[in-house]
Amino acid sequence: MREPRNPLAISFAVWQAIFLREAIDRLFDMRAAWFWLLIEPALHIAFITVVYSAVRMYTVGGIDVALWIIVGMLGFFLFRRTAIQVMYAVDCNRPLFAYRQVKPFDPAIVRAVLEAFLMVIIASAILAAAALLGHDSLPRDPLLVALAVGGLWLFGLGYGLVASVLMELVPETEHILKLLMMPLYLISGVIMPMASVRQPYREFLLMNPIVHGVELVRQGFVPYYHVVPGVDMAYLYAWVIVSLLLGLLLYRRFALQLVMK
Amino acid sequence: MIVVNDIHKRYKTEHGVGRWVLQGVSLNIPRKLNVGLIGANGAGKSTLLRLIGGVDHPSKGWIERRCRVSWPMGEGGLEGTLSGRQNAKFVCRVHGHQADLADRLAFVEDFSELREAFDEPVSTYSTGMRSRLQFALSLAFDFDVYISDEVTAAGDAAFRKKTATAFKEMADRAGLIMVAHDEGTLKEFCQSGIWIHAGKAYWFDAIDDALKAYKEAIPQ
Repeated sequence: MREPRNPLAISFAVWQAIFLREAIDRLFDMRAAWFWLLIEPALHIAFITVVYSAVRMYTVGGIDVALWIIVGMLGFFLFRRTAIQVMYAVDCNRPLFAYRQVKPFDPAIVRAVLEAFLMVIIASAILAAAALLGHDSLPRDPLLVALAVGGLWLFGLGYGLVASVLMELVPETEHILKLLMMPLYLISGVIMPMASVRQPYREFLLMNPIVHGVELVRQGFVPYYHVVPGVDMAYLYAWVIVSLLLGLLLYRRFALQLVMK
Repeated sequence: MIVVNDIHKRYKTEHGVGRWVLQGVSLNIPRKLNVGLIGANGAGKSTLLRLIGGVDHPSKGWIERRCRVSWPMGEGGLEGTLSGRQNAKFVCRVHGHQADLADRLAFVEDFSELREAFDEPVSTYSTGMRSRLQFALSLAFDFDVYISDEVTAAGDAAFRKKTATAFKEMADRAGLIMVAHDEGTLKEFCQSGIWIHAGKAYWFDAIDDALKAYKEAIPQ
């Protein structure tokens, strides 16, 4: 009889296997899926930038409007894509739970890591393209960028964990969460400057932690960017910690329900 | 040895919780024994097999696997969008065989005889091809106890002969817990039997006694 494997070793083996399986699915699912993965956010960002330039807006908060849009959107996409990938992680890997080594939490964490991996590549490509077109797209404060981006990513993971359990327990929540995602794009200060919202409504919009993350990423790129007053890294990370702990707690409690028939 | 202690199981259905499928099943299954599960359709044979395999969890009670137990063979475990080779790689990695991946893959490819289809997505496979792959996969690893749900019934005549030989060899080397409806198959492979009836499980040291009890319970 072979020596039983260490639980940690099993987890790492499972993560590696799921990572490779997910990467193949994401990159080679359709014809040239990897191409569309890159081109879709690039076109989206390019389109919005052109529209903004067409209405003769050259600066937002004192910085180049192109950079303002690119950086804000990349931060927001990182959150949204991670959240959606994690939300459907268990659903998309259902046949693999036939192996008892694979736990419901495994595909969720692996998908978040894979999404971060892809977004780093996509963001580098888009920022490099912007630099070639003459925009100053090098982050001046990389540490602040890393911290804010990390916050957005972890919040995406936490949100996805909580949402996937809720969806499993109460299937109707899927519709509500989808409805929630739509306006999130508009109210997170991605294409509409927060500074243009008058009080007291700005106060309400600032309750959304994604606004804080997006604004802070921009400040990391250009230190003289006029951040909306009230933006706070601690607020973003408070949401990160609460959502992650709640998500892990729900997984711990309802892990069996997620895969049980 | 697999210890099954007082397990109860019921499923969640569209209209709340369903009936109890298993109600207080306790068993000690030795490691080097071939056991057949017998019972009517819907008696809970596959449920018990899934619980022993650790794929599903009992509503009450616990199960301890004190040896290496396979996943329930012949039951899913294949991702449709991936090719047979990619699925095989996944299973190897999950079971900690990253180092000798190439050998195991070669075995699976050779045994399943899928040829070019081995690199096609599993969703394009026929039922027979799927079971070929599943069977080859489960033989690629050394388990102490194999659990199998009607797996020998699959494939064409040539492959069935090959699996029967491999199955026999496996049954001699390791333990086996299997579900089958065919009396001949059960008698060929199993020494002992478990009869599942009305949510309870009854252990019989000899498979013939189990079959007899099963037949006697059928209303005339």
